[in-house]
Amino acid sequence: MKKHLVTASLLLSAATTFGAGYQLNLQGLRQLAMGGTGTAWPWDASTIFYNPGGLARLKGIQAYGSMVFLMPSTAYGNRENSGTTSSNERTASQTFTPFSVYIGGRVSEYSRFGLGLGIYTPFGSGVKWDDNWIGKYMVQSIDLKTVFFQPTVSYRANEWLSAGAGFVFATGSVDFRRALPVHGNGGADVDDGTAHLHGGATGVGFNVGVQMKASEKVQFGITWRSQVNMDVEGGTANFTVPKSLRDSFPNTRFNSRLPLPGVYSVGVGWRPDERVTVQFDMNYTGWNSYDSLRFDFAQTTSSLQNVRAPRNYRNTLTPRVGVAYKLGAVSLMAGAAYDPTPVRNGYVSPDLPDADRVVLTCGATVRAARGLVIMAAFEGVNSVKRGASYDFGGFNGVYKTTAAAPAIGLYYNF
Amino acid sequence: MKKVYIIGAMAAMFTACKPSVNVTTPATSGNANFTNYLAVGCSYTAGYADKSLTVSGQLNSYPQRLFEQFHTIADGQGAVDPFILPLLPSDNGYPEAKLIMGTVTHCDGRISLSPIANPMPLDTNGSWRFKSMINNDQINNIGVPKLRVADMTVQGYAAANVYAKRFFYDAAKTPLAELQSRVRNVHPTFYTVWMGVTDVLGFATSGGSGDGTGDAVPVALNIYDSKDITPTKVFEDLYDSIVTAVSSEGALGALIGLPDITKLPYFTTVPANGLYLSRQGQVDTLRMIYTDVREKTFDLGSNYYIIRDHNNNIRQAVPGELILLNIPQDSITCAGWGSYKPIPREYVLTTDELQHIRAAVDRFNFVINKHAQDRNVPFVDMKSFFVSLESGIHYNGIDYNTEFVSGGAFSLDAIHLNPRGNALLANHILQTVNTFYKATIPLTDVNKYPGVKFP
Repeated sequence: MKKHLVTASLLLSAATTFGAGYQLNLQGLRQLAMGGTGTAWPWDASTIFYNPGGLARLKGIQAYGSMVFLMPSTAYGNRENSGTTSSNERTASQTFTPFSVYIGGRVSEYSRFGLGLGIYTPFGSGVKWDDNWIGKYMVQSIDLKTVFFQPTVSYRANEWLSAGAGFVFATGSVDFRRALPVHGNGGADVDDGTAHLHGGATGVGFNVGVQMKASEKVQFGITWRSQVNMDVEGGTANFTVPKSLRDSFPNTRFNSRLPLPGVYSVGVGWRPDERVTVQFDMNYTGWNSYDSLRFDFAQTTSSLQNVRAPRNYRNTLTPRVGVAYKLGAVSLMAGAAYDPTPVRNGYVSPDLPDADRVVLTCGATVRAARGLVIMAAFEGVNSVKRGASYDFGGFNGVYKTTAAAPAIGLYYNF
Repeated sequence: MKKVYIIGAMAAMFTACKPSVNVTTPATSGNANFTNYLAVGCSYTAGYADKSLTVSGQLNSYPQRLFEQFHTIADGQGAVDPFILPLLPSDNGYPEAKLIMGTVTHCDGRISLSPIANPMPLDTNGSWRFKSMINNDQINNIGVPKLRVADMTVQGYAAANVYAKRFFYDAAKTPLAELQSRVRNVHPTFYTVWMGVTDVLGFATSGGSGDGTGDAVPVALNIYDSKDITPTKVFEDLYDSIVTAVSSEGALGALIGLPDITKLPYFTTVPANGLYLSRQGQVDTLRMIYTDVREKTFDLGSNYYIIRDHNNNIRQAVPGELILLNIPQDSITCAGWGSYKPIPREYVLTTDELQHIRAAVDRFNFVINKHAQDRNVPFVDMKSFFVSLESGIHYNGIDYNTEFVSGGAFSLDAIHLNPRGNALLANHILQTVNTFYKATIPLTDVNKYPGVKFP
C-alpha cells in the first residue's frame, strides 16, 4: 500500500504549494517534522537534499520515498466593497502532492565516497480562485510545478568532515489563467475574454554542502543550494476573445523566466543524550532575484504587449528549530519555524498572496522491520492576516492563508 | 496503518477551520439621511450613453449605483426601495440608434473596427412617454439629457426636448417648475445635482460655434444658443434656483462639479498632427498651395492639419488644438481635408476656443463650489477625477483611462461613460460623500458591470 503511494507520486510528476514565496520545505519527513531543520544531521538519504555532505556518512545504500498531502487555503476580503455583507472569497480546495525520492549512500561499507540520486519538488505554488472573483483580471488560477533531479557525490575526508555536491537538473511547468476585460456582444453582459498561458520549463543548478561531526554530541552543517532559473521557451498563449479582436489577441508562443532563488543554510545539531536530538537551522533565501514576472510573446500587437509585472521580492532569513525523542523503535519529533514573506507591501499579488508564516510540525518514525522505517509527519502553517496591496494592478485587500500537510513515507536500508 | 488514520484525523481537524478574513465594515450613514435619494442632472445623470438613451444605460447610470450603495446602509438611514427611473421599454436607443462596435469599410478599402449605428429598429414604440404613471410622481432619477442650467426658466421646454417630454408633468411649464413640484412629491432626504456640463458641451461639440466668451445674449426672451457657453450671470442665478429647489424639503446632498471636458475622448482621439506626408512631392505641393499662409511647416512625416479657425481664417493647426471625433474620416483620407482643403471649423477646437471652454469650466466650478460651501454640502471635484482617469486609474487589475474604446471607461459616443466608467464615477462621489458626512458607505465593484462590447 505504501509502496503504491510512492509510485503514484511519481506519476503525479510534480508538486505545488506554499512555503513563504513559492519555496517548499517538504523534502524529508524527519526534517519536516522537526520544523524543517536538517542541515547539520544526516538522518537518512534525504540528506541528498538537506546536506549532500552527509551522504557519505550513511551506513549502506538506502532507498527513500515520501509524499506530502498539502492542503492550503487562502481567504481574501476587500475592505472597500465589504459593507454589511462581507466580500470574503476563498481559494478552491486543492490537494498538492509534493514528493521526494532518494536512493544512495556509501558505495561500499568502508568507502569514503557516497553516491546518490534525489528527485524532489522544492518549489511550487498553486492558487485557484473562483473564475468570477473580484481579482479575475489579475489571476483566476496559477500553477507552478518543479521537479529537481539531483545526482550527488559525497566524500568523507575524515572522521569529522565530509562534503558533497549535487548537480541539479530542474524541470517544471507554469500554467496561468486570467480574465480579459473584453466582452462579446452576444451572451451575458459581462462574459469576459480569457488568457491562458501554459509552458514547460527547465533549468540547472547545484546543491553543495559540508557536514562536520564535531563530536558524538554536536554536528554542524552548511549548504548552498544555487539559484535555478526556470526558462520557459515556446509556451503556448491562448486567448478567447470576441471574433473582431482575434487579430489583436493572436494565439502565440511565449518565453518566460522564473528564478527559483538560491538558499544558504547553516545548521547545528546537538544530542545531549542517546534519546534526544535538538536541531537549529537558519535559511537565507535570495528572493531578490525575483524582480519581475515577465512573459515575452512571439507576436505582439497594440493590445497584446509583453508582460512585466513587478515583484521586487526581498531576501528572507528563516529560523527553524526541531527536536527528536527516541523511544526504542519509535522516534517522536516536533518543531517550529518562522518563515517571513519575501513579498513587500505594495507587491502582494493574488497569484501568490504571501505573508509571514508560523509553521508548527510533528511526526513519528517506526522501525517496522529490519531495515525498514516508516515515517509520518504533519505540518500546520498559519500565516499572519495581512492587509496588503498590489499597486501595479490597483488591487488590495486582506489575506489569510492556512495550510495543513500530512505526510507519509518510508525508507529501506539495503 | 493506525498512524495514517491519526494523521488523517489531524488533517481533518485542521482543514475544518479554514481561514476567513472578516473585513466587514458596517455601512453607516454618518450625518446624512439617504432614505429617499433624488438625482438631478443632464445626460450623465440620465444614463445617456453610446449616443442614445437605452434601458441598460439608465440602469447603469451613476445614480443607480449610488442608490444601490446607499441601500446597503443598515442604520435606518439607508435608501429604501424602489429607486424609480423613467425606464425605456427596450435597449435599441431612443430617439436615435445607439452606437455599437462594428466593422466599417473606408474609402480607401481599409476595414476597421469602429462604432456604427445599431441596425435594430428604433426604440420609438412606447418610448415617447414614461408609461408607469403610478410611479411617475416618485421618479428618483430625473436627469434629462441635453438639459442645461440655462434652460431652467424656459417655458414649454419639454416641447423641444423629447427626453423631458417623456416624463414631465406639464410640458408647458419650465424645467425649474417641474423640479420644484417633483421635490415636493418625492420629499428627498438626499440629493445629487450634476448640472452645468451641457452649458459648455454644446459649444465644444460644435467646434466652438458661438462666441464663447461667456457674454452671450439670449436668442429670444430667456433662450440661449445651445452651441454657445451659458453666460456666467445666468448660470449663477439659475444654479442657485436649482439648489434652492432641491433643498426646499430640507434635504442634504452633494453638488457635482464639471470636468475639463476637453479631456473627453471625443476631443482627444483624432490627432491634430495626423497629416502624414510620405513623399517630397506632397510636401512641395502643400508648400506651394499655402504660400499665403503664415507660420506653416510641411515636412516628411507627421504634420499638423490645415484648418479653418474661429475667425474663419485658413491656417495650420498648432500643438494643443483638437480635432473632433465626428469629423468624417473619409474626407480626410480621400477628399483632401486637412491638406488640400482646410478642415471646417465645426470639427476643430482652436487655442482660443479651448481657453473659452476651460475658463467657463472653472467659472462654473467656482459657482458650484461656492454653493456647496454656503449650504454646507460637499463639492464633488470632477476635474480632479477626470485628470486621474486621464493618467490611468488602476482598479482590480484593469488600467482605466480616457482612451477611446481601449480605455474601458467611456461609451462609444466618447463623451459619456459606459457602465464601468459610471461605476468608477459613483465610487468617486461615494468617497467624497463618505468623507464629508463621516459615513461608511461601501464602494461598488466596478468590474461587475459591462464594458465595451465587441462583435
